[in-house]
Amino acid sequence: MKYAFFLGCVIPIKYPGFEKATREIMKALGVELMDLPFSCCPAPTNLKLVHYDTWLALAARNLCLAEEAGLSILAMCNGCINTLKEANLILKTDGRRRQQVNQALEGSGHTFKGEIEVKHLLDVLYQEIGLEKIAEMVKYPLQEIRMGCHYGCHLYRPPRIMYPEDLSEAASYVPVSMDHILAILGAKPIEYSRKFLCCGSALGTNIDPQAANEITREKLQHMKKRNIEAVAVACPSCFSQFDRGQMMLERKHHDGFHLPTLYISQLLGLAFGLDQKNLGLEDHRISLGPFLEMIPDSRRQGPA
Amino acid sequence: MIKSLWEVFNKEDLLECYQCARCTGSCPAAQVMNSYGPRETLLRCLNLGQEAVVTDERIWYCTTCHVCEDRCPQEINIPELLTAIFNLAAQRGNLPEKIKFTLDLVAKTGRSLIINDKVLKDRQKLSLPPMAALNLDEIEGILKKTGLGEIIDLS
Repeated sequence: MKYAFFLGCVIPIKYPGFEKATREIMKALGVELMDLPFSCCPAPTNLKLVHYDTWLALAARNLCLAEEAGLSILAMCNGCINTLKEANLILKTDGRRRQQVNQALEGSGHTFKGEIEVKHLLDVLYQEIGLEKIAEMVKYPLQEIRMGCHYGCHLYRPPRIMYPEDLSEAASYVPVSMDHILAILGAKPIEYSRKFLCCGSALGTNIDPQAANEITREKLQHMKKRNIEAVAVACPSCFSQFDRGQMMLERKHHDGFHLPTLYISQLLGLAFGLDQKNLGLEDHRISLGPFLEMIPDSRRQGPA
Repeated sequence: MIKSLWEVFNKEDLLECYQCARCTGSCPAAQVMNSYGPRETLLRCLNLGQEAVVTDERIWYCTTCHVCEDRCPQEINIPELLTAIFNLAAQRGNLPEKIKFTLDLVAKTGRSLIINDKVLKDRQKLSLPPMAALNLDEIEGILKKTGLGEIIDLS
């Protein structure tokens, strides 16, 4: 199994530990990742809202790089997945748009052909690698820690664009992949109210971080009500809301949530018993101490 | 460059709306901003006209979560309308500073965040490969061809 590895911007620049964790778990699972000179996806919360044609052309350029390498894309961020999947679908199905974009790409030597797929890390884990393979790799089960999954929004909405093969007629969709993976890792995924509410990240990045944090706060309150002990995410922007956002909320409201958040690759890395210095555990504003204490065996793998 | 929302969105679709407010009721931005939501935006388009909407700074509160589209019983593609509104607003100069900053960064460096020495050091410490050098001429060429120069300075 081999993919073109789409890093995006936020993970390699702001949370490189997540990139390292992903590279390590993919190595452990026997998946090859190829690096290519991808640019910003570009973000569905930024360039798409300002100049749609430019957004589509830059996304097409990224897709072309993968096509030229003959590889489908594996991306780690919900925003990247939203842009690349939507652009891929539009350009594959809308001849007029494809012609327009290929004209814009003319000087660059790229031509969009529609030959590859785009997949989020979560879907590669769940659909391509499979739960059995993941279960085989678990050395330190996550001790039934009560975890709340936050899928985010851009991963699967709208379902007819994000999963066109299966959900082209779906009015709505409820993802389960992360919950199932967590269960296989030995954690206890817990349902909570407003599980599918947005984290508010785009609002914070674009205009009003305080307002965005209030949206995240509601989710944290509901998680706390269900005695959830940690949050699992599949997107660095969602991570930032639950981690740095929670720190800012604590200064303002003193809720005392103490809910650490972990990116999916970190959770697999911990359960697989990989070297913890490769899992980006220092990047957390909300202390991971109590969480790591709950997985006694993993401490043996700690940094010197 | 689009001159009117109705060049890119079918105005007839808006007439399907019977103001049930399921969209605003589900909207995360509506929870934290007064008198704002997809329902209100749609109604303003119909009653006050698009100029009133594209010059309103509050439209940028949208988190692009797509729940409004998910819930609309009339299957109105609200995000598509909103994207058209945002694009037109940007042309009118109604563009938040933070978005403009990121745009300039992407146009100049091909990335939406700054790669400073700390980033390079952190990546090195983790034995990660260096960030790929991007073909900025190629990217700039594409931006010029698609007309991003209408919104920001590309010189």
